[in-house]
Amino acid sequence: MKTRSKVCCLVLLAPLCAAADEQPAAELVAEAVERVPLHTVVPVYPEKARRARVEGEVEVCFTVDRHGRTRGVAVRRSTNRVFEKPARDAVRASTFEPLEPGEKVPDIKNCRTFRFNLARVAVD
Amino acid sequence: MNKVTTVAATCLVVLWLAGMQTVALGQEMKMVVGPSNIDLHNGAELLKRGDAERGLELTLEGLETAATSRERVVGMSNACAACVMLGRYKQAVSWCDQALDIRSRNWRALINRSHAYLRLGQFEQAEADLVAAEEIAPGARSVKLVRSMYLDATDPVVPLVVIDDRRQQSDEDPQ
Repeated sequence: MKTRSKVCCLVLLAPLCAAADEQPAAELVAEAVERVPLHTVVPVYPEKARRARVEGEVEVCFTVDRHGRTRGVAVRRSTNRVFEKPARDAVRASTFEPLEPGEKVPDIKNCRTFRFNLARVAVD
Repeated sequence: MNKVTTVAATCLVVLWLAGMQTVALGQEMKMVVGPSNIDLHNGAELLKRGDAERGLELTLEGLETAATSRERVVGMSNACAACVMLGRYKQAVSWCDQALDIRSRNWRALINRSHAYLRLGQFEQAEADLVAAEEIAPGARSVKLVRSMYLDATDPVVPLVVIDDRRQQSDEDPQ
């Protein structure tokens, strides 16, 4: 059976990618044995989808190697293919804290869900 | 003697047929490939390349010699597009009006006029033309583009990405 624990949920404006370091990722460590995110890249919202006012959700699963790099990145579920590449690219570009020499952690598959939403803006 | 005459005659016939074919092919190529109104054609090419000023000049020259209603509609719609490119939106609407007076279902004129209305801030008229163009050519790139411009003007949005991290253990693990 699958066991899941919700670790964190971040809401970021897509253009504010530089704010990745400020994510509360370090809080995850105490709760679980999984790796600590070092740099979380926010995917680019596809312009084609924005123009057509398309929203969607993609779940990407991956493992993390000793050096903190993501491996075996694959889309597990998606509501629209237009979001899959940006989601995969974001996971591939994201990093986790490397392990200390001799440190061991269970080889756990991580899954990250990206929700691509469009927020209405007030018009003057 | 007879044989020589026959061979000569055959050669002449072949040459004549070849000549006819060339002429026929030439005519066919002119009909299919060659533009019937060179100024309209060149004007459109310039507009595609972004040279609105010169493109409009040639289009107007082409309109003066337009031989068919189709050419007139094409010329007027292209003049409308050129005026939009030049920021002369009221003039653009006027050209598109003329094109649509001749052919009310010309989606290019409809989308050009919708674009012009959009720039003039006349959103209801822009929407009406846009809907009409979408009924005729829903898959056209320019129709989709003007729709997104319309939405951006009337219903602007900001992309927002929610990242939800979950830890998943292997499927064999007990619940």
